[in-house]
Amino acid sequence: MTVTPASLTTTLGNEGLGQQPWWVEQWMELINSYRYKKRLERAWTYARSGNVLSIRFEGRRVHARVQGTEEEPYKVKLWLDTLSDEDWGYVLEALGQKARWSAQLLAGIMPADIERAFAASGRRLFPFKLQEVRSECTCPDKANPCKHTSAVYYLMGDRFSEDPFVLFQLRGRSRNQLLANLAEQRRQLLSAKATAPVAPHPPHPAIADPGRWWRYDAPLDPDLVVVTPAMEGDTGLDEAGDLPLAAEPLFPEANRLFLENLRAQGALLGQQAMAQAMGGG
Amino acid sequence: MSLLHATWLRSHTTGRPGLLLWADTWRVATPVTPQTQVPNHPLSLDQDDLGAWLEERDLWSEAFRPTVATLTLPSRSQSAKGKKKIEGAAWSGLPLQAGEPIPKTVEWWPWQLEGLWLEPAAAGAWLGQLPLSGDELGLADELRWWSHLQRWVLSLIARGRYLPQVETSGEGRVARWRPLLNREDDRRRIEDLAARLPQVAVAASGVATPLGLPPVAEIACRRPGSSRLVVVNLLNDLVDAQLRAGFRPDPTGLDPLLAAWQQALGPGTGKLNLSGEDAERLEGATHHWREAVAGRVAPARACLELFTPPEGQDLWDLHFSLQAEADPALRVSAAVVWATTERQLMLGEIEVDQPGEVLLEGLGRALQVFEPVARGLDASAPEAMALTPAEAFVLVRTATTRLRDVGVGVVLPPSLSGGLASRLGLSIEAELPARSRGFSLGETLEWTWELMIGGVTLTLKDLERLAGKRSPLVQHKGAWIELRPGDLRNAEKFCALDPALSLDDALRLTGNEGETLQRLPVHRFTPGPRLQAVLEQYHQQKAPDPLPAPEGFSGQLRPYQERGLGWLAFLHRFDQGACLADDMGLGKTIQLLAFLQHLKAEDELKRPVLLVAPTSVLTNWKREAAGFTPELRVLEHYGPRRAANSAALTKALAGVDLVLTSYGLLQRDIDLLGGADWQGVVIDEAQAIKNPSAKQSQAARELARAAKHSRFRIALTGTPVENRVSELWALMDFLNPKVLGEEEFFRQRYRLPIERYGDMSSLKDLKARVGPFILRRLKTDRSIINDLPEKVELNEWVGLSPEQVKLYRKTVDETLDAIARAPLGQKHGQVLGLLTKLKQICNHPALALKEAGIGEGFGARSAKLQRLDEIVEEVIEAGDRALLFTQFAEWGLLLQSHLQRRFRQEVPFLYGSTSKAERQAMVDRFQEDPRGPQLFLLSLKAGGVGLNLTRASHVFHIDRWWNPAVENQATDRAYRIGQTNRVLVHKFITSGSVEEKIDRMIREKAKLAEDIIGSGEEWLGGLDPGQLRDLVALEET
Repeated sequence: MTVTPASLTTTLGNEGLGQQPWWVEQWMELINSYRYKKRLERAWTYARSGNVLSIRFEGRRVHARVQGTEEEPYKVKLWLDTLSDEDWGYVLEALGQKARWSAQLLAGIMPADIERAFAASGRRLFPFKLQEVRSECTCPDKANPCKHTSAVYYLMGDRFSEDPFVLFQLRGRSRNQLLANLAEQRRQLLSAKATAPVAPHPPHPAIADPGRWWRYDAPLDPDLVVVTPAMEGDTGLDEAGDLPLAAEPLFPEANRLFLENLRAQGALLGQQAMAQAMGGG
Repeated sequence: MSLLHATWLRSHTTGRPGLLLWADTWRVATPVTPQTQVPNHPLSLDQDDLGAWLEERDLWSEAFRPTVATLTLPSRSQSAKGKKKIEGAAWSGLPLQAGEPIPKTVEWWPWQLEGLWLEPAAAGAWLGQLPLSGDELGLADELRWWSHLQRWVLSLIARGRYLPQVETSGEGRVARWRPLLNREDDRRRIEDLAARLPQVAVAASGVATPLGLPPVAEIACRRPGSSRLVVVNLLNDLVDAQLRAGFRPDPTGLDPLLAAWQQALGPGTGKLNLSGEDAERLEGATHHWREAVAGRVAPARACLELFTPPEGQDLWDLHFSLQAEADPALRVSAAVVWATTERQLMLGEIEVDQPGEVLLEGLGRALQVFEPVARGLDASAPEAMALTPAEAFVLVRTATTRLRDVGVGVVLPPSLSGGLASRLGLSIEAELPARSRGFSLGETLEWTWELMIGGVTLTLKDLERLAGKRSPLVQHKGAWIELRPGDLRNAEKFCALDPALSLDDALRLTGNEGETLQRLPVHRFTPGPRLQAVLEQYHQQKAPDPLPAPEGFSGQLRPYQERGLGWLAFLHRFDQGACLADDMGLGKTIQLLAFLQHLKAEDELKRPVLLVAPTSVLTNWKREAAGFTPELRVLEHYGPRRAANSAALTKALAGVDLVLTSYGLLQRDIDLLGGADWQGVVIDEAQAIKNPSAKQSQAARELARAAKHSRFRIALTGTPVENRVSELWALMDFLNPKVLGEEEFFRQRYRLPIERYGDMSSLKDLKARVGPFILRRLKTDRSIINDLPEKVELNEWVGLSPEQVKLYRKTVDETLDAIARAPLGQKHGQVLGLLTKLKQICNHPALALKEAGIGEGFGARSAKLQRLDEIVEEVIEAGDRALLFTQFAEWGLLLQSHLQRRFRQEVPFLYGSTSKAERQAMVDRFQEDPRGPQLFLLSLKAGGVGLNLTRASHVFHIDRWWNPAVENQATDRAYRIGQTNRVLVHKFITSGSVEEKIDRMIREKAKLAEDIIGSGEEWLGGLDPGQLRDLVALEET
């Protein structure tokens, strides 16, 4: 059976859910554009059997360790061309044009049209071709990318889901840096308008009224009179959904099992809390 | 008395937080001057006393760890006595205690104290056992704050509002359970608990030190910081500890990363058994996971404000703004936020850091749940956008809730804001029919009604036309309203029914919020002027029309008593039972007698009225009735000569207006009394029927009901009945049984929610229901205080117990004979001895018989003591303080034991043998200690002069002195400059006894020359045998 990489992603990713964040899809498209299918297939087997021991984002580089045929794992390094300060200046200016981009980045969402902001600098956030992803591997294989590097590629997509903003980091700025730059730029751009005066810092009310050191006369919040269980599908775990952790190939069920135990015990602990609330007071 | 406190404190070994329990108490302490070390809190309990205190109250926990801690507390400057203040010397003073009056200048100093420390999981369990409402004796206010916080923790756990995380802490990367606080109500709770945080709960500086180790000796204070963050951090600690303690990790099938994380979420410190890079990866991923659900905790949030389209246009305006979490009305527009160049923005008095980021982050979340927002964010500094009618409808109908759940505020136009007003309901105009005086509940009113929705009225035709538009949001009379399925049908139904409206309905509809008529909410009720007058009086929005003292009433009514009389007459017209619950000393007896005389004068008193009271006050009733309403014919159904069968009773009742009986006899003679034709039933000291299953309560309620003619019901009590939920049911069942329904319903609907959990909405509803039938005025009410003299004297008439009667008679008979035979020189002394003995008997047989201690049934042996107990109980419950004077030191000692046992509090007794130092300590404590004793016993001679005891607002003269000047002098201990309260003076008089005769002589000074009484007891020796017998013989009362 020939396994095509396109179908691999869903096997590797959140099984049954199918819906991938767009950056994972984009990443996979990138890999699929690669011509040497045979090598990809071997890389996939590598990835699936847990030969990729670790992937770490450090500054602008990705460091990985892949178990090859030798005893010592091979070290794989991946990096993208970073943007120059001038390029970033263009990107920032473009990002500042639409409040939505800042809004989404602040809310932890990777905007689907982020490339349009990067287009202003003539650059991209995502590499357009696999060739733009630079790599080094300590293996003797002369082909680039070698199967070790390709195995890392496969897992990278899911690792982007854990924190999509590492892409910015690979291009030279972290999300926090970017947001700080954006805020600064916004202040500079908009300060031309009238400014609201800032009042001096008010002292804490308990200083003016030392009685507040002791006093509490509020009744119990009526909504806490009866401690109620969660509504169906309304717990924090339900709301947060799947773990954004790349699945470990050797433990394909781990994410599901982890959450199942949390849910089961959460229900139990919730019942105990309600019992305690009924008995108290 | 000691007061228990609780303060959050980190452990010195683990750095993990926990709850420190400590207590302070009032004692005389020397002001402290801090030197190089943190001074010891001179008013705190050491850990042994604290442990004993907790054990005594069943609050002991095996998990307690003895600890020393430093707390920053507001402190009072005070220089040490006897030492001159040195110029430039360091500060000296004492820490303030809860409830102490705040001095003009306050300084903050660190104080070191001993306490008991609980780790967070144990702290949660311990807090869970505390009461959620009410003032529990000995527990400081902040313990209730803690118990409310803990209940919120339970709610978060029960609702599953948390996520596991990996975070960086001082110990490296650790696994933590973190509460999710993005929901609207949880966000509001942060604000509520933060705004009301008692600072002492977080006043610890530094860390806990175990007892025995030298403490950290740094003099430093802790400043109160952002309460919001404090509350969130406490929640973090408590939620984490409680989930962690119960969580059982199961690593089956997990990869090493997840297995280590799950392991670290269970019992223990949370430390991750992972390499640095794996832990870092988990931190990043879990942060991103949580970010999708909950944002940062900020004092403000993004807000979307919807505006209806301008006249003739389709598109709705949606404005972006920043809204204070603490006060949704506090908003600034996005334009102001964008224009802020500073890193902070002031929203009223609330400081918002990075306002632009807060606003943008919220908008980013908003577009996740309400997609059209994305379109509005195309500009660089967007301030508003337009919505299509369809989008506006989605926002109103569904998106608003979801937006609020992700922490974005939404402000809708008033007519669409989803409250009751936006539902289809009624607007009513009503008035009494022209000839009606509004005296009967069932009568039909003249009324008109219109349909109403979102603040505008409309006809059924309008409604049909609007429904025909098939658009959920429609405009009518300039307002946008939301039509719901079923609205038209409900309206048609109501129109077809066109019901009548009774006065009863009107009272109900105007009494509570959200009342409905035929299932339609009544949005507006406009009564005509005459109906308005009835409604206002009924709901006590307006004082009842006063009624002047009726003809035949011999006495004066104060203005508020005229209003009370008017109120009794008002409810009587409606055939509604009334509970007059005026504060002690305001004259409930007088008002009730005036009401009966009013009926008599109006020729409405046709049949006898039965008044039930505790035995101890029957004498008082008889005296007062004789004094104020001599026209009323009063019969006592009491004693062995009372009517024994219905024929005798009928005969005895002929021509009688008022029958007095006791609760005991009511219960025993219920068959007899139930058969008589009463015009009304009055219960005095109505708390006597509070227990619904008690026989006397059942008897009273039975009597209020069964009758050929309806009986009026009046209850009198001096206790704040409306606050005693458990006692209300029986009272209302006596007065107006329909108001609160069956007992079981009452228990489920009101009693449990209110008493167990302090549910305010149930309490509010309950008060609204019973409010019309209870009139309670306090001495301190503005409308009362001007009507009252600064000193109110009350005579408390009491009888004698059978034992007292026997002993009294025997003593008189034996001693008079002895005196008659005694030589002249000894007569004087023997007369005095007799009088003293008789006064002692009036107090208590045990005093006369020189018994050493108080045995079982001590209270029941003296009628005077029973009455005293009843009044003192009211004083204590009202939180007032009282001085009790007696002339007998032995009686003081017995009474001290009795009162201490009965009221479970310390009662100091100041008399001749009290040392000077002790006296001063007693007086200081009574005057200064915020939780000092409420009762203070004094002997008339030792305590009558020189002391300043203005904290008391009650003075009891338990026995009479011959000379009023001495009594007045004693009274003046409480009533003197510095007194801010009205003082009530209770004088006990045993009727028929020598006490009454002394009282009469004191009052009838005209007959006995002033100088005779004024000179003391000398004149007594000169009485001839006939005069003496008249003075001491027990009169039949």
